[in-house]
Amino acid sequence: MANVAATPTEADRASPETGPVPLDWLEEFEAAARRPLATRFRYAFIRTYKPVLDDEPFRAFDTTADYRRWCEQHLPDWLGYGRV
Amino acid sequence: MGAFEYRQAQEIRDSFARAGIRYLFIGKSGAILLGFPDTTQDADLFVEKSPANCRALGRALIELGFALTPEQTAEIERGKDFIQLKNGPFDLDLVFAPDGIERFEEAWQRRVEVEGFPVCHPDDIIASKAATNRAKDRESLPRLRAFREYWAGKQRDLTAGRRAP
Repeated sequence: MANVAATPTEADRASPETGPVPLDWLEEFEAAARRPLATRFRYAFIRTYKPVLDDEPFRAFDTTADYRRWCEQHLPDWLGYGRV
Repeated sequence: MGAFEYRQAQEIRDSFARAGIRYLFIGKSGAILLGFPDTTQDADLFVEKSPANCRALGRALIELGFALTPEQTAEIERGKDFIQLKNGPFDLDLVFAPDGIERFEEAWQRRVEVEGFPVCHPDDIIASKAATNRAKDRESLPRLRAFREYWAGKQRDLTAGRRAP
């Protein structure tokens, strides 16, 4: 399986590595939990044009690493698809 | 093309269920299904990479309105690792080998069902984003990890509530 940049820690898989949830985030989580799923969708999914990425109707990559490489080579940095 | 809508997610769910396709919502779209309040642009599906599953997937996508050529359908059936679709009613990324997750079956065993939507467990969503290590993922990870703690607490409360007399 492609795992090109970093190995997830055990904390990413199982145990908490975070401290207490910040209050403002907690309030947002609670507010979201009160909304029906359809409403959460309406708030969450947005559509804006992404240069290059949105310019082809179909792309297929043999490996996930190929896709990551393509993103780094072709997409503007500010889109955030480059690996850190 | 507009933003991905709840109705379209239901169409995926129902169409894929009819076709017996094994898949999971992953990435931020998966997290949003679990209740994570954030924004994203497209839906990401982690699809089991087996010949029968990929054949059924190609047929289902055409039924959903994706304008796939025979060559593109063949690419899906051949089982590429990553396919990006922008030729349908909504944008869809098909991920067959996400970073940070070893095997589909393991993620499937850990899945969470939300209104019939099969969703990767938050641990898998986070593991995948951490392994991908993109700038945009790095930005969202602290909040996503906090959400995991919140979500896990809710699950514990639900379990305790069910056990209570």
